[in-house]
Amino acid sequence: MAAVESLPPGTPSAMRNAFGTVLSALILVLIGVLAFSIRLFSVIKYESVIHEFDPYFNYRVTQFLSKNGIYEFWNWFDDRTWYPLGRVIGGTVYPGLTLTAGTIWWVLNAINIPLSVETVCVFTAPVFSAFASWATYLLTKEVKGSGAGLAAAALLAMVPSYISRSVAGSYDNEAVAIFALIFTFYLYIKTLNTGSLFYATLNAIAYFYMVCSWGGYTFIINLIPMHVLLCIVTGRYSPRLYIAYAPLVVLGTLLAALVPVVGFNAVLTSEHFASFLVFIIIHVVALVYYIKGILTPKMFKVAVTLVVSIGLVVCLIVVAVLVALVASSPTGGWSGRSLSLLDPTYASKYIPIIASVSEHQPPTWPSYFMDINVLAFLVPAGIIACFSPLSDASSFVVLYIVMSVYFSGVMVRLMLVLAPAACIMSGIALSQAFDVFTGSIKYQLSSKSKDDAEDNTSTKNAPKDDASSGKADKGEEVAKERLSKKGKKKEREPAEKPSVKSKIVKKKALVLPLEASIVALLLLIMLGAFYVIHCVWAAAEAYSAPSIVLTSQSHDGLHVFDDFRESYAWLSHNTDVDDKVASWWDYGYQTTAMANRTVIVDNNTWNNTHIATVGTAMSSPEKAAWEIFNSLDVKYVLVVFGGVIGYPSDDINKFLWMVRIGGGEFPHIKEADYLRDGQYRIDSEATPTMLNCLMYKLCYYRFVETDGKGYDRVRRTEIGKKHFKLTHFEEVFTSHHWMVRIYKLKPQKNRIRGRVKKLKQKTTSGVSSKSVKKNPWM
Amino acid sequence: MADHTTLPHRFFLSISLLSILAVSQPDLTKELVSLRSSSESGVIRLTDDTVSKFITSVSTPRPYSLIIFFNSIDLNSNPLQEFRREFAFVSASFIANNNNRSDVANKVFFCEIDESSDSEAFGLFGIQFLPQICLVDPLMENLQDKTGRMEEEDVDGTAESVVEFIESRTNLTVGPLHRPPLLSKTQISVIVALIAISTPFLIKKVLKGETVLHNSRVWLFCTVLVYFFSVSGTMHNIIKGMPMFVRDHEDSNKLVFFYKGENFQLGAEGLSVGLLYNVVGLLLAYVTNALVRVRSVSGQRVFMMLAMVVSLLAVKKVVYLNSWKTGYEIQTYWPSSWH
Repeated sequence: MAAVESLPPGTPSAMRNAFGTVLSALILVLIGVLAFSIRLFSVIKYESVIHEFDPYFNYRVTQFLSKNGIYEFWNWFDDRTWYPLGRVIGGTVYPGLTLTAGTIWWVLNAINIPLSVETVCVFTAPVFSAFASWATYLLTKEVKGSGAGLAAAALLAMVPSYISRSVAGSYDNEAVAIFALIFTFYLYIKTLNTGSLFYATLNAIAYFYMVCSWGGYTFIINLIPMHVLLCIVTGRYSPRLYIAYAPLVVLGTLLAALVPVVGFNAVLTSEHFASFLVFIIIHVVALVYYIKGILTPKMFKVAVTLVVSIGLVVCLIVVAVLVALVASSPTGGWSGRSLSLLDPTYASKYIPIIASVSEHQPPTWPSYFMDINVLAFLVPAGIIACFSPLSDASSFVVLYIVMSVYFSGVMVRLMLVLAPAACIMSGIALSQAFDVFTGSIKYQLSSKSKDDAEDNTSTKNAPKDDASSGKADKGEEVAKERLSKKGKKKEREPAEKPSVKSKIVKKKALVLPLEASIVALLLLIMLGAFYVIHCVWAAAEAYSAPSIVLTSQSHDGLHVFDDFRESYAWLSHNTDVDDKVASWWDYGYQTTAMANRTVIVDNNTWNNTHIATVGTAMSSPEKAAWEIFNSLDVKYVLVVFGGVIGYPSDDINKFLWMVRIGGGEFPHIKEADYLRDGQYRIDSEATPTMLNCLMYKLCYYRFVETDGKGYDRVRRTEIGKKHFKLTHFEEVFTSHHWMVRIYKLKPQKNRIRGRVKKLKQKTTSGVSSKSVKKNPWM
Repeated sequence: MADHTTLPHRFFLSISLLSILAVSQPDLTKELVSLRSSSESGVIRLTDDTVSKFITSVSTPRPYSLIIFFNSIDLNSNPLQEFRREFAFVSASFIANNNNRSDVANKVFFCEIDESSDSEAFGLFGIQFLPQICLVDPLMENLQDKTGRMEEEDVDGTAESVVEFIESRTNLTVGPLHRPPLLSKTQISVIVALIAISTPFLIKKVLKGETVLHNSRVWLFCTVLVYFFSVSGTMHNIIKGMPMFVRDHEDSNKLVFFYKGENFQLGAEGLSVGLLYNVVGLLLAYVTNALVRVRSVSGQRVFMMLAMVVSLLAVKKVVYLNSWKTGYEIQTYWPSSWH
């Protein structure tokens, strides 16, 4: 931009720049279109439907918001979930996504575009992916110029890891949060490069939006302080750094505390302490630099000792206070998820509910290939490009990639945070490589034609010198362009440095052999093409399944399994509005959103005991389970069973987690009782406890009637106990493909007087106390 | 299970009986006390002779219980010796916590029998596996009786498990464990002093910008290293404790380095693929940053060709391994008329 201003209008250079700007804008629009359209496979292949589990909850909240307005939403106490506890939705939900979609819906309706709330929710994620790729362009442009920016934006538009969370219908926090994350980083870098308080304020607001949107905001509030600290330690402190950081902490923390779900956590939990500590350090350092500026070197030496000692004392006091605060809280002030990032083995040891979620597992190498594909090859080149030369901005993206790649190694879910960093790095690498290769080709072609024109008859070695001087023209231009960018970013770099560099450049032209460059260029293009193919494949085949409707392709055509919606519809049509439905927590959100029935536990796993109670009921024999469910006012029990059609993520496969989580709270449930020699099996070798537990019975009741043998297609075996009757439950609904089975609790039997009397005589106090012990709710 | 619940009762009974009988055998207790005070952290080393003296030849009820740790120096097993140290902590803590209550402290003695030197005494107990801890309570006559043993699943090598075992079987409380601090007080003070002395120098260096931290090559190296280990899935190997390689099921001489199936990976597998991931990027970086400055054109040409061949092979290998491991085949979406 600066270059455009300095040049008189009408010169070829100015024209080229103007043309470049228009071209970049056009490319950016196309990238936006690409980002949006690659995510529409799910709508085209299936239908415009909300996906999976959590999005259903967000959808329900958005519906509530659009119907009742923001104040009602803020104070919403939901009694349809976590019965009998209920849940304060307004205070426990990150409102960013719902408010965004709600606003979009409201604006569209205000200008007479009558889209339904569901449609808006379905398309929020693709729209925000386009925004995210534009934000990536801005961020990378600040680091390495617009060429790298465009490459990074194009890569991000179709990176599979991000597609997996933002296909149309995947209406989850991450959909808007990744945009907010990148945009916050961009504004931070922008402030760092310009030292403008305007951008610093915008940065705090962007951070506020991020806090509203996703719990992952802690990544920002730890990464930025780390970068600031890194800059200070490596002697890169500048007033711009201060402007970029101090307002963010003050304003950002104040704004973050406005979000109900965060509230005072913004100052009380350990996740935020790093930012305050660095806030103090940067003030000490700023003071040192200020004093250095106003004092003579000799006086400064005296002052340094003074300030450093005072600063150290203050720091020590603060550290002591922090340590005391942290030590006084039970988990050391860290939430379980954060702890499992620091000590990766933490969750698997202590928190089964975190360890049980598949997206909290550490990834293997194919996960990287699946999720960032060829970017995994390009990132090291990008890292090295960022180091030559290292600026404030490029050191930030380096820190970003290091942190995110480490965290992604601990939890596969955080691959999503890695994806933008990998795109930025690969964009930088690709752009640099293209620069070098096309530069060498272009230069050598032009110098060759020059040679031909002059018809120089000297030996082969002679034109080389010529070439090198001619080369220098082009090479110098490229280098100068780069250096001017660099100079813009690094104000404090002395002026003599560029001239030294350009001298070096003059000596050795930055070119590579022509043929080799062409081949390398072709290979890079092939690599890019492979990336595109992989991304389209991932978007179309791997990540577009809504998991609420399943399809399978077999030789006799396409099969659609719509059992979930079938059974939720059954629930909403055939049961009373206030009936309680028990199921494993995975199906809680869907049941409340689609069937509008009260559930006991749902995907917001805030109460381990409650979940353990349901787990215990599922792992208990029929009578004990009935007692637990009855005490929770449950009318219906819903189980998901995949044995008929071979759907592997059904309740039988999740059952061991129910046992583990249940056993964690109620020790009479022991995992070993359900395993035969350490193996989980449901065939004739299964343990009696397994064959008599409620989950087994509800899943396999009348199963033998399907094929006469009772062959389970998921476990690939015949089941152990085929013919049995239910005593305390009755089957009321089984979906078309047997995927969802709903049972009703039988009413309590009338007690016959004589029998009751007899029982009373027989029962001793010991027995009754035992039964109470098994049922925590009585 | 029934045996366990009655054990404390038995213990109580024996304690009450002891008060009568203790008078008759005071010298044995005294002898044990003196042995204890002379041994390190209060763990008495029982030999063939002393076992018969204190256990087999004393008529029940004995006036004391013995908690015996079965050890084997010859086994040369690290976890076992670790557990032995933990056992010593429990013993030392027990003595320290009950220092002024001789009625409690002199009822239980911590002992050790080493298989390598006193195999006869060891054999008396019929121990099948190590580590093993046994409580010889005052009424115990048959030493092969398994009721006094710690249950196999409870033996996890920690002092806490021993304390739990003792407290559940004897009605005694061991009290808080006194572990020696990781660093002794003098060590800590030396370290603090060193830090205090070096701080000004460090600060001076940081202000001048002369530390390792100011060398961007170090940062570059560390960054690439972190990246390498992360994309290799090293965290997966650490958390799940995967080995570097396993032996083939069918042929035990063959080693398996690559695991088929997407959810697990072996150590060597991850590292080799991580290397392939990195080699391409590093070569590209070398070509674009360093090779352009090389003077010799033919050198450039040769190196570039080499780099491109290596990169191509690396990418091809990763793609191949990925399809092999996960079973995914990526569709290319050529126009249908091309098929």
